[in-house]
Amino acid sequence: MTSSRSAASLPSGSGAAGDQLRYATEVVAVGDLVPQFLEQGVLVLFGEQAPEELHEFSVLHRPGSALSGPEPGDVLVIGTTELPVLAVGDVVAENLLQLGHLDIKADGRDEAAMPGDLCVPQVALPRVAPGDQIRILRGRAARAAREGDRA
Amino acid sequence: MSDYRSVTVTKGKGGWGGPLTITPTAERPLIYSVTGGGIHPVAARIAELTGGEPFDGFKSSAPFDKIAVAVIDCGGTARIGVYPMKKVLTIDVHATSPAGPLAGFITDKLFVSGVKPEDVTEA
Repeated sequence: MTSSRSAASLPSGSGAAGDQLRYATEVVAVGDLVPQFLEQGVLVLFGEQAPEELHEFSVLHRPGSALSGPEPGDVLVIGTTELPVLAVGDVVAENLLQLGHLDIKADGRDEAAMPGDLCVPQVALPRVAPGDQIRILRGRAARAAREGDRA
Repeated sequence: MSDYRSVTVTKGKGGWGGPLTITPTAERPLIYSVTGGGIHPVAARIAELTGGEPFDGFKSSAPFDKIAVAVIDCGGTARIGVYPMKKVLTIDVHATSPAGPLAGFITDKLFVSGVKPEDVTEA
């Protein structure tokens, strides 16, 4: 898969890769209530060390690179699905970098309704499975990388 | 046995819900911090004033029936509803209002937000 090849072949913090990648992680478990949350346009991520009571509605994951928090204009890559980041709440970076926690909302907003929201367009969010890669790429670099992938 | 004391927790600027009275007991001694960066200062202050036991939810796990209060730094979607759903008193240090898929469980008897250490006072 393109996404896993790119994540694996890009060492963090060096050259083009370091400029491009903000965050890369691998899904290790998907809670039973995740499909219900997806129906409401919400996908919740937590690092795998999260307490058990948070597991049933969360995608648990193991970060490989946690370099910086997302910003509007970035690209969120879930498996093979690419979503533009429209808005980022005030506590998103802290949540993501400290706890691996991210609330992805497919609400199409250009201003986050809640401080923990990362907003993407109103689309059906993809289902995820253990082994899937989730990445956040910087805006301009992300576009260049996608063109590179196609070349 | 240890004599626990009570504190009152009121909502902070832009916050919602409460006030809550927190009184740990021998059965429910834990001041449960589910926050980034270890025990949050709000949880530390509650533990200090009440005699409860500070506990980092990201380091180890505890049964719900041992928790006197859960302190979270939730941005409004996930943790905000989890502890109220289990009838655990919940303090969000961020100024959130009931929202998210679990919003129906969040009441002003169970939840208060926007809380800073100075919003915790001896009851």
